[in-house]
Amino acid sequence: MNKRETAQTINDRAAAWVARMDREGSDPAVRAELKAWLAGDDRRSGAYFRAKAAWHMLDRASVLGAGQTQPDETANSPGFSRRRLLWGGGVAAAAAAALVLGVVGMDFPTTPDQQIQTAIGEIRRVPLSDGSLAAVNTQTALNITMEPEIRHVSLETGEAWFQVAKDRTRPFVVEVGDVRVRAVGTAFAVRRSADGVNVQVTDGIVELWRVGDEANIQRISAGAHVFIAPEKQIVPVTAAGETIDKTLAWRTGQIVLDGDTIAEAVAEFNRYNVRQIEIADAALGTQKMIGRFRTNEPDAFARAVTTLTDARAEIGADRIILSRN
Amino acid sequence: MAWVGSEILPHEADVRSWLRRTLNPEDLEDVIQETYCQIASLKDVSHIRSGRAYFFTAARNIVLMRLRRARIVRIESVTEIESLNIVGDEPSPERIAAGRRELERVRRLIEGLPDRCRKIFELRKIEGLPQREVAQRLGVTEHIVENDVAKGLKLILQAIADDEQAAEQRRIRTKQNEQARNSTNDQ
Repeated sequence: MNKRETAQTINDRAAAWVARMDREGSDPAVRAELKAWLAGDDRRSGAYFRAKAAWHMLDRASVLGAGQTQPDETANSPGFSRRRLLWGGGVAAAAAAALVLGVVGMDFPTTPDQQIQTAIGEIRRVPLSDGSLAAVNTQTALNITMEPEIRHVSLETGEAWFQVAKDRTRPFVVEVGDVRVRAVGTAFAVRRSADGVNVQVTDGIVELWRVGDEANIQRISAGAHVFIAPEKQIVPVTAAGETIDKTLAWRTGQIVLDGDTIAEAVAEFNRYNVRQIEIADAALGTQKMIGRFRTNEPDAFARAVTTLTDARAEIGADRIILSRN
Repeated sequence: MAWVGSEILPHEADVRSWLRRTLNPEDLEDVIQETYCQIASLKDVSHIRSGRAYFFTAARNIVLMRLRRARIVRIESVTEIESLNIVGDEPSPERIAAGRRELERVRRLIEGLPDRCRKIFELRKIEGLPQREVAQRLGVTEHIVENDVAKGLKLILQAIADDEQAAEQRRIRTKQNEQARNSTNDQ
């Protein structure tokens, strides 16, 4: 090279590369071309990294739509201000502290393409770049990385339901601790709790295994669910069906009770609300209930309990106490 | 990557105006690129308390390295840059508001884009549609979408490089131009 490439040229080409990678970054040939370009000069790596960081920063805009935007609404910029309340400012910074940055030159494969975090009571529907859809429940953290051969989602905490876009060449794998759930074109939910991992299949078939035990792959079809406790064998599948519709009612912001005990219902409401419900009397907790509630209305639930049982509810601003009369 | 978006990019304008005191524009751009290259090579950022202070320090070290590498080093320039005080943390109320400000900033960056570019960015970033579907939705070729993504990203990087004030002026200018162009269609 007899003339040194100007910094502006590098910046412009870096922006063009980010645009191209966003369009056809799954093509290994394109990735190889990018790698070759980056290797030419350290300044290129810097400029590409900067452009990519700016491009990813714009993902924040997705919360402006909160996943419920009508297509024709997007053109109206005034719509922005109405839909900004779902975003918790501190969450991103907290997640960032734990973030591990990738190494230059490989298009940063270890850095997730997308990170989704929900606050308590927040439920979001998030379209993924491969055309899949994630419904993300309260207090959940997800990292999504789309690679050429694999679509990779890591569930750090919480619960999510995925409607996976069909792509035979790129399996969709959810990682939950040492458990792996693989799907091609199907819909399923994964929940991570202190006791273990729960997988529910609503459509198609998924394959499920533990890292280190790849010989033992379980196939689970629609209408079934499986619970995997730490260190234990993957237990045979229980047929579910209606139970699944009920336990996935959160996707529409609902809690459905069908003979669940009050204690179970309370644990469910407490997942979604800062205002926690407490049961002062253990015997009260064993009574069963049927009903349909909004996840964010623990007070409505408490009032229903007082109507259906002999309980009394103290409904305060920061907590609700259920006790026997 | 999210960390860079929230802790590094917002301070780029300040780092630039600080560097401008000792560097000519072409060198400045090189230093910025090399600084980002160094940040990209970080394996872990959890030990960095302030992205802003880190950005300033990294940029200064690169300037010093360049000065030492240069065949003729003006001794004043070394002492001058050594004596520059790193502008450390922002005052705390500002830090608290930073999250909200950032979202506002992203919104402004996208809104400031020319019309078709803005639509493409909204479909891609707010709706989350892949470029292929953005092209279908707007009835243009994928090539046009890719070019507009590159063009819009260039404008956004430019806005990040400028100080807020200049970015604001640019935004108003673009809007005015657009309004002038579309005046026949307006209400």
